[in-house]
Amino acid sequence: MIVNDGLLQAEAVDFNRDVRPILSDHCFDCHGPDQAAVAADLRLDLEDSAMNVIEPGNAEASELVHRILSKDPDSQMPPPNSRRQLTETERNTLVKWIREGAEFAQHWSLVPPQHSAVPEVDADQWSRDPLDRFVLNRLRERGLSPAPRASAESLVRRITLDLTGLPPTAAEIDAFLKDDLDVAIEKLVNRLMQSYRYGEHMALPWLEAARYADTDGYQNDRYRYQHVWRDWVIEAYNQHMPYDQFVIEQLAGDLLPNATLRQQVATGFGRNHRINSEDGSIPEEWRTEYVADRVDTFGTIFLGLTVSCARCHDHKYDPITQREYYQLYAYFNNIAEWGVGPNNGNSPPFITVPKSWPNLSPSEDRMVTPAPVKLRRARAEAGNGLQRPQAGDPSTVMVMHELTEPRPTHVLQRGQYNMPDLSQPVTASIPESLASSTPGISPRDRLELARWLFHPNHPLTARVAVNRLWQQFFGAGLVETSDNLGSQGALPLHPELLDYLALEFTHSKWDIQAIQRRIIHSATYQQDSQVTANSLEIDPSNRLLSRGPRYRLPGFIVRDQAMLLSGLLVEQVGGPSTKPYMPPKIWSAISNNKYKQDKGGNLYRRSVYTYWRRTIPPPMMMNFNAAAREVCTVQTESTNTPLQALTLMNNKTFIECARFFAERILQNDGQSAPSMITHAFREATGRWPTEKESAVIINAHGRFLEHFSKAPQAAKQLLATGENQRDKSLPLVEHAAMTMTASLILNLDETISKE
Amino acid sequence: MLLGSLGLSTLLERDRFVQGEMNDHLGLADLPHRTPKIKRIIYLFQSGGPAQMDLYDYKPALRDRFGEEVPKSIYPDDRKTTMSSAQASFPVAPTAFKFSQYGEAGSWISELLPNIGSLADDLCIIRSMHTDAINHDPAITFQQTGSQVPGRPSIGSWVDYGLGSEAADLPAFVAMSSKGSAKQGQPLYDRLWGSGFLPSKHQGVKFRNQGAPVLDIDNPAGISRGLRRTMLDSLNTLNGLKHQQTGDPEIQTRIAQYELAFRMQMSVPDLLDFSDEPKHVLDLYGPDVKTQGKYAFNCLIARRLAEQGVRFIQLFHQGWDQHNNIPGQMPRQCRDTDQPTAALIKDLKQRGMLDETLIIWGGEFGRTIYSQGKLTPNNYGRDHHPSCFTMWMAGGGIKGGTNHGSTDDYSVNVATDGVSVHDLHATILHLLGIDHERFVYRFQGRDFRLTDVHGDVVHSILS
Repeated sequence: MIVNDGLLQAEAVDFNRDVRPILSDHCFDCHGPDQAAVAADLRLDLEDSAMNVIEPGNAEASELVHRILSKDPDSQMPPPNSRRQLTETERNTLVKWIREGAEFAQHWSLVPPQHSAVPEVDADQWSRDPLDRFVLNRLRERGLSPAPRASAESLVRRITLDLTGLPPTAAEIDAFLKDDLDVAIEKLVNRLMQSYRYGEHMALPWLEAARYADTDGYQNDRYRYQHVWRDWVIEAYNQHMPYDQFVIEQLAGDLLPNATLRQQVATGFGRNHRINSEDGSIPEEWRTEYVADRVDTFGTIFLGLTVSCARCHDHKYDPITQREYYQLYAYFNNIAEWGVGPNNGNSPPFITVPKSWPNLSPSEDRMVTPAPVKLRRARAEAGNGLQRPQAGDPSTVMVMHELTEPRPTHVLQRGQYNMPDLSQPVTASIPESLASSTPGISPRDRLELARWLFHPNHPLTARVAVNRLWQQFFGAGLVETSDNLGSQGALPLHPELLDYLALEFTHSKWDIQAIQRRIIHSATYQQDSQVTANSLEIDPSNRLLSRGPRYRLPGFIVRDQAMLLSGLLVEQVGGPSTKPYMPPKIWSAISNNKYKQDKGGNLYRRSVYTYWRRTIPPPMMMNFNAAAREVCTVQTESTNTPLQALTLMNNKTFIECARFFAERILQNDGQSAPSMITHAFREATGRWPTEKESAVIINAHGRFLEHFSKAPQAAKQLLATGENQRDKSLPLVEHAAMTMTASLILNLDETISKE
Repeated sequence: MLLGSLGLSTLLERDRFVQGEMNDHLGLADLPHRTPKIKRIIYLFQSGGPAQMDLYDYKPALRDRFGEEVPKSIYPDDRKTTMSSAQASFPVAPTAFKFSQYGEAGSWISELLPNIGSLADDLCIIRSMHTDAINHDPAITFQQTGSQVPGRPSIGSWVDYGLGSEAADLPAFVAMSSKGSAKQGQPLYDRLWGSGFLPSKHQGVKFRNQGAPVLDIDNPAGISRGLRRTMLDSLNTLNGLKHQQTGDPEIQTRIAQYELAFRMQMSVPDLLDFSDEPKHVLDLYGPDVKTQGKYAFNCLIARRLAEQGVRFIQLFHQGWDQHNNIPGQMPRQCRDTDQPTAALIKDLKQRGMLDETLIIWGGEFGRTIYSQGKLTPNNYGRDHHPSCFTMWMAGGGIKGGTNHGSTDDYSVNVATDGVSVHDLHATILHLLGIDHERFVYRFQGRDFRLTDVHGDVVHSILS
């Protein structure tokens, strides 16, 4: 046996960091948690079983080593026809691990967060928060040093965008710059967290994760009325509701003792899944999908595990059996619902929301019992056998409500609704691999399940949540795969920092704002985002956090910012979803419904309120990588495409915004054009342009003026884009030219980026 | 919707290629697995579920069984949709249309499809298709993604992901839709050409069926191409200055994407400008060819896209969901589609492109032999039917003049050589040189395939 020692790393092998990913990726398919697929009765995810082929400390005597080094097709592992061949480095890592004693460890995320001392870093003039020392330590290990602190102008824009989804105004920037920077940041954060804009902005990722939408999502994609739930989320963030309460009320508000109507509304979370109304459907088939959707959403959003993989068979990589999947399923299988929708409105169970919402009187703020499902036959005379439930009108909201007589739950073979394994009835309980961290707890219903998530020893809840909070500020989580902290997920580059923050979150009594403040006040977050050659070389995607975050803003913010700059933004919290400009015939071109665009103020409301039709989602938002709201999504990509360019240059929304941005610029009486333009640049980017930049824009403006003075008809046409009438006192040609200049500014990479 | 593959020539993509990730232009490094038979696919999706026994699956003996009950042994109750399952009676409704034999293969084809019939020796007609779903949404989602439950990538985005694009200024995957003149169709959904869990740049680009085909492709009124150029020059300079300040490579990509957008503003409208098409070509496609939103118009666009190197072109034609009045609706639906479909094949053939193109015709399921609603000598309807339906393919790698598979005497069940949706997908990928079992994408730690864990290539229909 020849093992090339020369290739082995000097550092000791760490099972979770180095070995488990190899075993998981290359071996678990046949030697992992899926009992039905286990070959040769060997499981490499379990220490006891693995030791049948491993001699700790003795690679040469280990069958596993023989197999992975073998060239004999009959004994070689993985087998020659497998797509999962090992690389030389991977083989060497396994050999080295066995030589060093073949120590096993549980998958890192299934072990409760570990307290580790904050690193002592020599000559640390940089850290502002203990969390920075974890980062600095790692940077120094890799031969990097942190970037300098970002300018005050950058910071006020970065923080304001991060907390409200809107940029600071020139006056707000001026006020910020007057104070000592530390004081200014403190005051800024306090002010922004008290703004209603805070909740509107924080709600966005939660709405995507909770697959909130205004339609049912299948076939004719009928309308539903769930905006009251959306407003509950915004309000909860604005009230600074602790995360445990936020989650428990959404998962099981209906089961809380003396539940309020608000708590009942919160449970709309469990009803945001798609609902099928298609004629001819088999109700139980689709009800099964709804329950599965609740389980999968629960798994992704709270556990950060791909629980859904265990629906048809034992999980291939993580310790969740198929039986355990249906034990989780049992928590969500007892809702007083029907598998086919009413075809026009909310599906039961739903409740009527008092007209006074959200200002409920004490007597109104009490949970009410929703009417049970009442089935009717449609077109029975034509031989139609489908039964549909009653429909809830726009004054209702869908909620969770338990049946008095529980539905029996069985393991479904291959996940099929019509293949229950009657020999395997199951009752609600949590997977063994998670239960071991929280001994003595065995939740019996949704409420107890929700409370179990916040057991101080729970291995996942806090990690998964702080990882997403981090992602919101840095563009990527400490675990890059924020939807999967399981065996096949990415490993955290700063595991100690993740655990540190998770424990801080738990100890703060789940205070979301406290963690956000810690992040914002950290030196890590406040770094300049400039990319140096060295940091690009060693840390191309900024996973080591060697600089501040810089990335393109989400579509919601891109649009809202343009409306703010133009003065068109209409701020009104909550209410039914709005229907802003869409391309002509956006719905009727491919479906049987017509999009009826709103008039007046609703055209300019924040994008969090934009009507979300699942089968034809708003194209502008989709262009900028919004989640489709079909299923739970906690991570979206960020692309850079020509369609984004076309939207920003040509879309009616952005042209109208440019027109009114131009009006605001021109209404700055008594200023010269160059001065007006540099002010506009500052409004959009948060900083004054350099001389060079000014010259380019002023020159462009001159050419726009020249163009339109020769083509006043074109000026007129351009200024007629959008519904809002222009200020006719402004000279036509100047207005059109300034509209082009404003559009130029709105298209700048810097304007649409957070940096 | 992202014009993903449009990003292919950008710096970023090149960087990624250098880093060994992938290159859009070339697709995945290990693809194709073998020499492909075709370069592109034109998929003529007939949305709603065309009635196989009125078009291709000829059952002359049923004429004598008019009005008889379809035996329960043939059609058990539990496989009927709830739309007609409570009917008191399930009477046999033989087709109202005449059939004749076409080509050397003697393929039986309905009188409603004379133009397609005239090309019978180019077609491989598969009468033994079957699916798992009985309703539109799950069935069309299954056809498009290999799964009834939404969330998986569509077949076109798989192909885009695997093979990339040959078109410089156009997307690799274009979807178009048209409505039939006979009846309102079933709705379509953006996810039918969506990328699911694949990177969104592999999404199909939906060409709109009125106005500018790509959203916001036109400059707003009052902005000329020259003025746009002026604005772009300044924008590029400013973004370039920003790049000097921050060093973020994304800015260079953005500059390239704006330039690409500018080029598309020319190339996309050009596609719709048929002034360079000779009259005899326009005539071939029939009277609707110049009307945007019509099937004939889309067929000609498909050919023009194919010429530009677009890899996967999918037309969705609505209106086949004929629950009632088939004798009234079917002739109109066929009139809309028969001539343009045949024209597309002939046009590709005369340009020498048919051999490198796969054309697919078919819908999400078939229809019932029993009449939905009242059966009269002049009228009948048909409900959804998953257990058998007809599709056909033509072009590169396909054995023309083939009749594959058969159904029972009632056109209810597959009798021989059944082809599942997974088999169809496996076969399509095979023609592109892709082994469907080795073509995977890892999502949330698991390897996914278009064909899930199923699918066998139907070798007997391949040349």
